[in-house]
Amino acid sequence: MSRRVYLDHNASTPVHPDVVAEMLPYFGQVYGNPSSVHGFGREAREAVDAARDRVAAFLRARPDEIVFTSGGTESDNFGVKGLAWARGRGHIITSKIEHHAVLRTCQTLEAQGFGVTYLPVDGTGMIDPDDVRRALRPDTIAISIMHANSEVGSIQPVRAIGAIARERGVPFHVDAVQTFGKVNIDVDAFNIDLLSFSGHKIYGPKGVAGLYIRKGTKMVSVQHGGEHERRRRAGTENVPGIVGLGKAVEVRGRDMKEEAVRLTALRDRLWEGIRARVPEVRLNGHPTERVPGTANICYRNVESESIVLGLDLKGIAVSAGSACTSGSVEPSYVLVAMGVPLDWAMGAVRSSLGRSTTAEDVDYVVESVEPIVRKLRAALPVGAA
Amino acid sequence: MRYSPTLVEHFLNPRNAGLMRDPDGTGVDEFDGCGDLARIFIRVRDGRAAEVRFQSYGCGPTIAAASVASELVAGRVVEDLVNLKADEVESALDGLPDDRKHAAEVVAGAVRAAALDALRRRSA
Repeated sequence: MSRRVYLDHNASTPVHPDVVAEMLPYFGQVYGNPSSVHGFGREAREAVDAARDRVAAFLRARPDEIVFTSGGTESDNFGVKGLAWARGRGHIITSKIEHHAVLRTCQTLEAQGFGVTYLPVDGTGMIDPDDVRRALRPDTIAISIMHANSEVGSIQPVRAIGAIARERGVPFHVDAVQTFGKVNIDVDAFNIDLLSFSGHKIYGPKGVAGLYIRKGTKMVSVQHGGEHERRRRAGTENVPGIVGLGKAVEVRGRDMKEEAVRLTALRDRLWEGIRARVPEVRLNGHPTERVPGTANICYRNVESESIVLGLDLKGIAVSAGSACTSGSVEPSYVLVAMGVPLDWAMGAVRSSLGRSTTAEDVDYVVESVEPIVRKLRAALPVGAA
Repeated sequence: MRYSPTLVEHFLNPRNAGLMRDPDGTGVDEFDGCGDLARIFIRVRDGRAAEVRFQSYGCGPTIAAASVASELVAGRVVEDLVNLKADEVESALDGLPDDRKHAAEVVAGAVRAAALDALRRRSA
């Protein structure tokens, strides 16, 4: 079998074998509904509570501040809408580079009469905390800023933004789906009131995630039904998924620091290797304040999807920064917000490394990408793009 | 893989890529809103496309479509190429996914434009 290299860990990760092992009994042996009062239900309840304890300890939070959800998108919807609807009207501060789960939620709230300020970012994808301060209004009811962007990985100054939010008494939601389990997060030290996190980005299962809600934060539910999760999120708990998320968090607590050092070195090796071999390339995102495994590289005048196809044919999985769907191709809104020129932005390719990535994998990618880009450029019309 | 082996082979090894010096006809087509672009050059001998070259910018299928078209139309009567259909380019690629049909359209459009240009120059 030919070589396969997976560099799309920001999209999803393989479930860690220890996580799979921990989950298995909860598909067949322990199957009660955690809401049931009998022994079968109590077993499931104990497993859910144990996972909650693990997640809470990891975030230095209290277990009753953790609500399990079905995914990062649900957590973001719950966080932002829950704050907004609890107040009924007012102004929200967010940024132009948020995940669509926050951006489109904010757009929906705008249509409902809420005011929204979308903050700009600089050329490295960073939000200026002073911009947050300047955007604050007397009727500001929420600030929602991501910890790191999935495409470029720049880690936002959430500690500084949290301090501003706390000083002004405005609830602060952080979409940490791309950083949870990868970099240090302390909800108290960062003054975070709500924090979205997900399982499948950290070698846990898909379909399970969570929202940290600081005790005392005024919120309303966005999903109604039974009295699950202390009446905050209706729906029978995904017990195997939650068990898996809890185990994934435990593994991350053990491996995170060492892996961050290793992945930072590998992502830099990738960039240095490509820069040395391929002309007209640029690295996007902050040079140092960046999620360890993320390297977003633009190849000028080449369409990213054709590079992704070329690499796919070599067994390499990366992600295109622009996507050509039927009849329209749009550069990444994140790169556009960062001011990346169109002839560069159209050729953005994101590599996101993970626990299985080796130096040999990185070298294979470096060797593979050069002829692909060279051939594509050889067929380029003069002045195209 | 969502693409045919023929498409993949042309993408990996494009035929006749690059500029042609002093062509007898040149045609460009660009897919609206997408930015995918193909430019076809033809050299005419005895009313036929004796040599065909292409330049393209776009997704993999567009590059492969331009490559396959450069072989497909070589040797054919230029007057006939004015009516080249996208379906024929697509067939030569052994099919395209629905969301990539534009690859054949933009390349067929560029071939038609190049053929028209050659006929126009001949009659000028």
